[in-house]
Amino acid sequence: MDQRQGALHQVTRRGLLLGAAGTAAYALWPGSRAGARPVTALRVAPVASASSMHLAATDGWVSMAANAPHTSFWPDTLAPSPYDMYVFGFRDVTGLDAAGVTAQRGLAQISAPILAFDEYDAAKNNDVRLTLSNLGLSVRPDLVDGHTIHWHGFVNAIPLFDGVPELSISVPIGRQFTYYYRPHDPGTYMYHCHFEDVEHVQMGMTGVIYVRPRQNGTNPGSAVPAGHQLRYAYNDGDGSTQYDREYSFMLSEVWAEAHYRDAHIQTTDWTDYAPSFWLLNGRSYPDTVVGNGNPLSGVAAPASGLGWPGGQERLRYQPISSLIQANSGERVLLRLANLGYQNHVMTCDQIPLTTVAKDSVRLVNAGGVTHYLSGDSAEIGPGESRDVIFTAPAVTVPTTFLLYDRSYGYLNNGGGTEPGGQLTQIRVHPSGTLPVQPIDAPNS
Amino acid sequence: MTTTLFRASTRQRTALLSIVVVALLGLVLAIPGGRGNAASLQQNGMVCQSNAGNTFSLDAVAGYISTPDGNSIYAWGYTGSGQQFQLPGPVLCVASGARVTVVLHNRLPEPVSLTFPGQSDVTADGLPAEPQLDPGGNLVSLTPAAPATSGTVTYAFTAGTPGTYLYESGTDVTKQRQMGLYGALVVRPAADAGKANDRADSAFDTGREFLLVLSEIDPALHSAVERRRAFDYRTVKARYFLINGRSMPDTLAPNFASWLPSQPYGALVHLEPFQPGDRPALIRYLNAGSVNYPFHPHGNNETVITRDGAPMVDTAGQDASFEKFLIDVGPGQSVDTLNRWQQEYQDIPGKQIPADIALPQLQDQIVGPGTETWFSENPYLGGKPGALPPGIVQNNECGEYYHVAHSHALDQATNYGASFGGMMTLIRIDPRGGCPTP
Repeated sequence: MDQRQGALHQVTRRGLLLGAAGTAAYALWPGSRAGARPVTALRVAPVASASSMHLAATDGWVSMAANAPHTSFWPDTLAPSPYDMYVFGFRDVTGLDAAGVTAQRGLAQISAPILAFDEYDAAKNNDVRLTLSNLGLSVRPDLVDGHTIHWHGFVNAIPLFDGVPELSISVPIGRQFTYYYRPHDPGTYMYHCHFEDVEHVQMGMTGVIYVRPRQNGTNPGSAVPAGHQLRYAYNDGDGSTQYDREYSFMLSEVWAEAHYRDAHIQTTDWTDYAPSFWLLNGRSYPDTVVGNGNPLSGVAAPASGLGWPGGQERLRYQPISSLIQANSGERVLLRLANLGYQNHVMTCDQIPLTTVAKDSVRLVNAGGVTHYLSGDSAEIGPGESRDVIFTAPAVTVPTTFLLYDRSYGYLNNGGGTEPGGQLTQIRVHPSGTLPVQPIDAPNS
Repeated sequence: MTTTLFRASTRQRTALLSIVVVALLGLVLAIPGGRGNAASLQQNGMVCQSNAGNTFSLDAVAGYISTPDGNSIYAWGYTGSGQQFQLPGPVLCVASGARVTVVLHNRLPEPVSLTFPGQSDVTADGLPAEPQLDPGGNLVSLTPAAPATSGTVTYAFTAGTPGTYLYESGTDVTKQRQMGLYGALVVRPAADAGKANDRADSAFDTGREFLLVLSEIDPALHSAVERRRAFDYRTVKARYFLINGRSMPDTLAPNFASWLPSQPYGALVHLEPFQPGDRPALIRYLNAGSVNYPFHPHGNNETVITRDGAPMVDTAGQDASFEKFLIDVGPGQSVDTLNRWQQEYQDIPGKQIPADIALPQLQDQIVGPGTETWFSENPYLGGKPGALPPGIVQNNECGEYYHVAHSHALDQATNYGASFGGMMTLIRIDPRGGCPTP
């Protein structure tokens, strides 16, 4: 544990500097690579827009909902304050120099950074490169686990870039490898480590990845009324997947017992799987509605950019918010991906949900007739994705709605009696209240 | 987690050696299990039982299956009459609309029956196959059963719409389904057996037809039945997850592998890159278990064309098939898909990986993990296999590709918790024309 505290100290010092002086200071920080994009460190929690990204894989500590009852396995007695559970995870280290990347060892986040790319365009030459660095496991130096990136659902993957260790290669500790993709097919996908997948996925190496269609910025058939964004989930040709704001959700489960065993050098029989927490973007309610954060920030509220989510250090490594906000009349896209091992049924009272795509394929038949599914819920199984659109209802005062997993058995934290789990809020404001959501800032 | 001790599986290596041995001696070894018909020579793909009279005779018997971690599990199953135990039962292939007869001989110590979900006009010994009630009105069997030990019932039905179906016991179902009393019934179009359903666009490559029967096993339940002890079915906890009665890596072994005498059906999906003019491969998923199996084939989407014998059409009769990267199969359900495996980077000149992307040197990659790999150490399909570190077994023959296909409820992709096992198989993609003969 001494080693880990040292790492925390190091990052905290740099984070403080970042918080105090902002991006300019970051670019000048000794060792930062000339030409590296300085915005990375202060990017709104999740997103990546460049076609080349650098991810680091390592372990770390996070915090589950404080209202859960304590058990033998949670909170973990090894966890450094203010954290309580051991995880594996990815971090976005794009633009950091080698020392900066290495300093993230032991500082994993859940869920993984949301990755967004534009559909391939020969004129833009925007093939995707994802570089993965394996920083090792700070709490388990006895383990020599490799890591990989599996872009789940990517069509036409070749084995080398599919991330299944036994059928290609995996990245050893202290090494890196670049995965290469030509993003032909818009849609919502997910990515995860495929090394000893039942463990590494459960431990937190999961995130949402999506491809934006080339139709963006156009108005096919002038179908989109004035005042709405020319953003689409798919190349629909008719504007039917248009949205004004978007929110990504990585649905997962946490079996606290297995996380405890990994931290305490014990083995787990994965067929005993019995989750204790149900998460949206790495947090369970009420943490789901706390805002975005920046894991590189060492302070609650930096002078510019993001600090800890909601000013809470315990959520520092769970930076992605699940709070949905929209103005009346706006269309909201929910990108749902499930990398838990259970089915989930996301439900909204009072607001109809329209599923426009499953598994990154728009629901349209061979003759071009759409078969979008209307209802008040979207069912999503393990390894599946859904694109769901709703229209924010007309309100005259800010009004809150709930989006939650109708499997009520999953709406608690650690078996406790208070509401928890995969539940979040939709806050609808009167028209014109919220500014336009930047296209690079989902979940904001 | 991987410790510095490799989790080498002796059994796995033995199995691979056996493949080589069988390949060398195949011609002189007797075909196991007395299945000495022409079908037994079919190494890969779905193995059909069919005959002009559409009449089959099945025995319900007990035996043992083996699991990749070395366990041996007592199980029940249907097998061709007079033949040894197998899991799952034989694949019965019939034409839609045909009148089919199945004679069941029960050799098990309790009544056993057969149900045929999705078929019509089902009879048992000539009478409608109705639920069986005891004098008190309690349901004792979903259909007439053959008495224990030596009973016989003759069932008949009219084959339903083309598709993939289960046959399974309708008696003591919680126990008997778990014990293995199930098999696949494949109904082909009456007009054209080369189509998956009655639609013209369902024509498939009849040399590439694959059946994946999905199920699971709780060895504690099986052990209790073997020892004739009570079992509390509320405590059922599956530990093994099967495709065609086998778990990964046994799923990769050929049909009728000699070292799996009770589990005759392999699950390797063997393809070549799809080109215009080709017919696609047909994959039939069939859930014989009691939970959902969210099955994820890597590398390419598959096109769902039939579910439970119903073609995917809209109310106007227009094609409503759809692509998925996850095939979710519920208990008792079937999903038929077409797989057109597309070559990569079709619009990249020379299909070359950009120069800035390199395959790392061996010391900068983990091969395996473990003692074997399926990767040729060459990114290209059909590329010359590269060197491996010492001590690693190369399963790749000629630079062919392998993609994994597995349940994405990842606890089901394990053998009693050990990863890269369970409900998992590989999709093998050969260069066009197949690997050259050595």
